[in-house]
Amino acid sequence: MKFKAFLTDNGVSLLDKRFLPALEKMGKICHLYLTRDHVYFLHNLLNGDGIQCIAQFRKEALFDEYRLSSQNDDRISFAIDLSLLHRALHSIISIYTEFSASDSGVPGGNSAPNHIQIKLVKKLPPHSQQPMPFLTFETKGYKSAVIQDVPISKPLSRSDVLELQAALDMAQDLPQTLIQVPDMHQLQNFVEKMKNVGDVLSVSISKYGDLHLQVSTSLITLGAEFRKLSVIGEQAQSPTDDQNLSAQSRTRIALQRGDAMTVQVSVKHFFKSLQCHAAKPDCAFYGIAQQGACLTVVFQFFIPGTHQTDKAISLHCRLPVLDPGAS
Amino acid sequence: MSSSAVEPESPDLVCQLDNVQGVVDALTSVRWKRQQDAVLELSEHGIVLIVEETACLQAKVYLQRELFVRYEYSAEGRPRFGVSLGLFVDCLNTFSAQGHSSAIELRYPGPDMQLLLKSVESSDSCTYAEIRTRIPDTISWDYNFEPAGSTPLSFTVKSAALKEAIDDLEWPGSSIHLILQPTPPSVTFRGEGHGDLQIDFMCQANTDLLVAFHCDREVSHRYKYKFLRATTSNIPSSVIRDNRGSKLTIGRGGMLKVQHLVSVAKPAIPQPHVDSAGYQQPSRIAYIEFFVKPEVDEDDANDT
Repeated sequence: MKFKAFLTDNGVSLLDKRFLPALEKMGKICHLYLTRDHVYFLHNLLNGDGIQCIAQFRKEALFDEYRLSSQNDDRISFAIDLSLLHRALHSIISIYTEFSASDSGVPGGNSAPNHIQIKLVKKLPPHSQQPMPFLTFETKGYKSAVIQDVPISKPLSRSDVLELQAALDMAQDLPQTLIQVPDMHQLQNFVEKMKNVGDVLSVSISKYGDLHLQVSTSLITLGAEFRKLSVIGEQAQSPTDDQNLSAQSRTRIALQRGDAMTVQVSVKHFFKSLQCHAAKPDCAFYGIAQQGACLTVVFQFFIPGTHQTDKAISLHCRLPVLDPGAS
Repeated sequence: MSSSAVEPESPDLVCQLDNVQGVVDALTSVRWKRQQDAVLELSEHGIVLIVEETACLQAKVYLQRELFVRYEYSAEGRPRFGVSLGLFVDCLNTFSAQGHSSAIELRYPGPDMQLLLKSVESSDSCTYAEIRTRIPDTISWDYNFEPAGSTPLSFTVKSAALKEAIDDLEWPGSSIHLILQPTPPSVTFRGEGHGDLQIDFMCQANTDLLVAFHCDREVSHRYKYKFLRATTSNIPSSVIRDNRGSKLTIGRGGMLKVQHLVSVAKPAIPQPHVDSAGYQQPSRIAYIEFFVKPEVDEDDANDT
């Protein structure tokens, strides 16, 4: 089982500035899953009760000279602590940039290009007889070379990897209707305050492009409705006579007509899913999976300077529903 | 249109507010613990919110009708209803999160005697809330505040200094003596508990600190620290920032009245210029009053 690669500058900034801060909010521990062509950060795919988060990168988006081999069809996966990973990467970057800056200033100086190398190793940790697996970063600075070892779990067994791949395949299904979140930041503010009022959030999404959020307890009902959002997938013309109705009535009628779905999720999960905003996506879409199995949020990234989807990067979350029978 | 059920033909009150954050600030200043029941009293002059604790502390927030963009009152008498203060503030807070110029409408009663709130800013997004109300308890205790004599016993101090002094008194804790004396004109807070701490506001030495001072005889009363603290613990940062004054008055029997002014300025427009006395248009101010009962024992009530 071998893995060795060089992080590209783009990969460094993607991970350090955008993805690791966002993924850390999803949970401290995730599975890093490496295949021949892709690198995945996966939360809660094997133990299904939390919010599932799937970040997928084509290997070129992060790495150069990506070398991977394992007897399990060239697939490797292990659990890793994201905060340690982020700290190690951050420290390596500071050394790396120091060297790169000094290097560029001296013509004809050190001509060997600098890299951040990442690889899987087994080492004897101090005071231990048992070699342990690590994900190791290595670079050289102006006057020093630095190695950061991030402890990881034992690599997943063949059957666990198969299970992980199966869960990943399952999680790729997209809802039939996706609506675009109008203002991610504002919605995040709103839901953060909503957290104080109740624990269970009803999310209704219609084919007309309406998003209706509601928290309801015995003492209070608090909701927000966003209308005329862009729709991807199945859409429908909203009835003309619903303009003067309340948000609740409009949603009820849309549900009766089969033009909307509603699910209940944890407000905390919903808020967490909004925190993926830290990865600086260009837009975000919410949708409800078939039979109301889960609430899905898909983040879209553009190729810089264009409005074309960057297919090398993808990020989406699946929020477990609290009462699957209700929809 | 806010609900599908049939509404009363004319609600007691429909009003619109353009500065939710200001009202959140004002209400937060009387939120001294997590679970508090509040009573809202509606009248043609505005809305008064009242909270009480163990018959020793009462706070009132006056939201006068001038704070509202629209205020349509059509009830007879003065309708009163109870709500959870925490829930009411948290709920208003979600409205203030909706951007800067979030105007909201309040309506009472709803079809099931709820307090109804909704945003009025745009047709494509809308926030709404229905807060369940309850029949308020009868007021446990009469807080009629009467002057202690023919001349008032009062002083006005910069709110920030008052808060700082009361925060510092946490160390001795338990009960705090408040002493006013005419010569030299001064206000003293003295705590005796785990240790002694005395804080003096001298009128002549520090004219910036004490804005006004009225006292013709020495008075001294003791108040429970936790009640004194409640009067300043959640004072909004805008009050400190605007460098406002808080007025403290001692009434008959040693009842202490603490008054703060909270700006509910129009949003979007920059804060109106504050003149040298820290005075703003009275129409955009919410008044906050706390009434604190003194601790009564044999040798302390030397007010007469």
